[in-house]
Amino acid sequence: MFKKKVLSVMVATLVSGAVYAQDEVRIGITQNNVGVDSYQTTYEKAFEEAAAANDNVDVVVLDAGGDVARQIGQVRNLIQQQVDAIIIWPTNGQAVIPAIRQAYNAGIPVVVTNSKIADAGLEYIAAFSGPDNVQQGASSAEMMCEALDGEGQIVQIAGQPGYTTAMERSQGFEDRLAEACPGVEILETQPADWNREKAQRVMENFLTKYDVIDGVYAGDDNMGVGALNAAKSAGRAGDIVFIGATNFAVGYEAIERGEYYGSIYQSPVDDAEAALQTALDVLAGKDVPKMNFFETPKITADNLAEFDKPVF
Amino acid sequence: MASAEHTKQGFMLSKKHKAGLLNFLSAQGILVFFLICMFAFSLTSEQFLSQSNIMTVVRQASIIGIIAVGVTVVIIGGNLDLSVGSMLSFSTVLVVDLHDKIGPVGAILVMFALTLMLGALNGLLVGFMRLNSLIVTLAMLSAIQGLVLIYSGGQNVDIANQSDTWFGVFGQGYLLGIAVPIIIFSLLAIIVQVVMSFTGYGRRIFAIGGNPVAAVYSGIRKNWCVFSTYMISAFCVACAALVLGARVMGSQNNVGQGYELLVLAGIILGGTSLLGGAGSIWKTVIGVLILGFIQNGLLLMGYPYYTQWLVTWVIIILAVWLDLANKRKRLLTRHS
Repeated sequence: MFKKKVLSVMVATLVSGAVYAQDEVRIGITQNNVGVDSYQTTYEKAFEEAAAANDNVDVVVLDAGGDVARQIGQVRNLIQQQVDAIIIWPTNGQAVIPAIRQAYNAGIPVVVTNSKIADAGLEYIAAFSGPDNVQQGASSAEMMCEALDGEGQIVQIAGQPGYTTAMERSQGFEDRLAEACPGVEILETQPADWNREKAQRVMENFLTKYDVIDGVYAGDDNMGVGALNAAKSAGRAGDIVFIGATNFAVGYEAIERGEYYGSIYQSPVDDAEAALQTALDVLAGKDVPKMNFFETPKITADNLAEFDKPVF
Repeated sequence: MASAEHTKQGFMLSKKHKAGLLNFLSAQGILVFFLICMFAFSLTSEQFLSQSNIMTVVRQASIIGIIAVGVTVVIIGGNLDLSVGSMLSFSTVLVVDLHDKIGPVGAILVMFALTLMLGALNGLLVGFMRLNSLIVTLAMLSAIQGLVLIYSGGQNVDIANQSDTWFGVFGQGYLLGIAVPIIIFSLLAIIVQVVMSFTGYGRRIFAIGGNPVAAVYSGIRKNWCVFSTYMISAFCVACAALVLGARVMGSQNNVGQGYELLVLAGIILGGTSLLGGAGSIWKTVIGVLILGFIQNGLLLMGYPYYTQWLVTWVIIILAVWLDLANKRKRLLTRHS
């Protein structure tokens, strides 16, 4: 009886101790470049809202403005402030590794969000949280296969050469297409730097060069809509299936109008919430896998109504 | 006898004619080079010389071409304008964003007014305050990009109901079977070429670019002339923004990034001297078209488009070298 009582008191202390500790959780985040595009702007807002909704979390929100040196300074600052965890949206997957190592040595867990860091830095981070670009490419390949009934000739308009996201999406798309859909041939791939006007130009040249194009795969909807515009001017949009790899508002509207087959829905809100949750799980001592991907579903005319129009 | 004389005369004539042709060829090296390029590409791709492809290339080149017309005037006047890329982003974002807020007419008017104000700022700093144009316009390049980000808050802008507006005509429309961007480009090029060749104003710009000290002593108001070249440049950027915005019906914040260098490449390739005082609009037009056809030709041949960066600059350096070698030779023969 006595023993049991002691035990329950101990458990109560432990539990209250844990609650008390949770009250104190301070998380610092250093973002890449808020304000440069709508995705990052929305991400920041969502992150702050998610933190505000959780009474036990206190956040220090910083932005590197795209500057690697400033981001490294911000990480050092957060180490000095002895925050409980650091979330970093790397400005550069390579250059931030020394700063991450410093945090690791200071015993502060680091969660990398949205875009990956180089493999050399993986041992110093607690976890990565973000979209799975390879999977996104693969899902787009599946949609392409479905839309063309497994037969056809397509062109690919990729993102900026050398940018991890662009390479992973192309890789995922090409690998899955070859595996699931050998009847669909990629005639040619050209980069358009995430730029709609450039994509429009590239597509105009494709249309001149190839008399038959059955489908276009674009690294995001911004470029996909550029390609759609080019095909519309040439009067060939009706013969071509357009598929993107990140849904933008313009792509959402084009799907609504029936001009665009589909895309991948990636929400900055999900991205921000997943990052915060991953950091909290790490702090709670849960067994967190190294790679945490939030879900980025396919979006087509069939399930369009289930999703809000992206704000970007 | 008569027939022999006749032959001799005929021979002399043809010799004279031949020398004239050679002179013409060496003087118009860029035109010859352009024709060689076209011929080479047409051998490798069937579609290259098709009418639709040529129209596509000229239409694509017209945005850079429109800006290059204005920048050529600045360069002839002895200055540089590197701010045109950011200015293009600014003006395109502005006109697209305002389109849905105050209607197309208002948007176009406000955009032209604000773009001309940026040009006036350039002109004030370079013309009246006599600051180095390279530094001023380089500073404006990043300052205006910052302005765009502040204005847009990082969001892309789009025109919501694209089928309900006539705005698209500037980028996608056709007049008498010719694309509107090509018409705007041609009109601007012709007007500015005429002004530069046949008016006192044009001669004054050449004079201040060629020898500013002598120009001032001959009573030319240099400050105003330099100022006016930046206004022309800004006006051309505004026209280009109109075409670009109407073509894409939306705009990213950095849509004009890198245009300043493409514009310069076209101008240099055309043969306008960066030192000022020499050059012409039609040369710039050909330079810009060569760039367009190289880019298109490489794409049709299946090379990734960034090979164009390499090829373009190799060709530019080659063209500048040929031009220089030619001038040296002519100078030497004249003196001997």
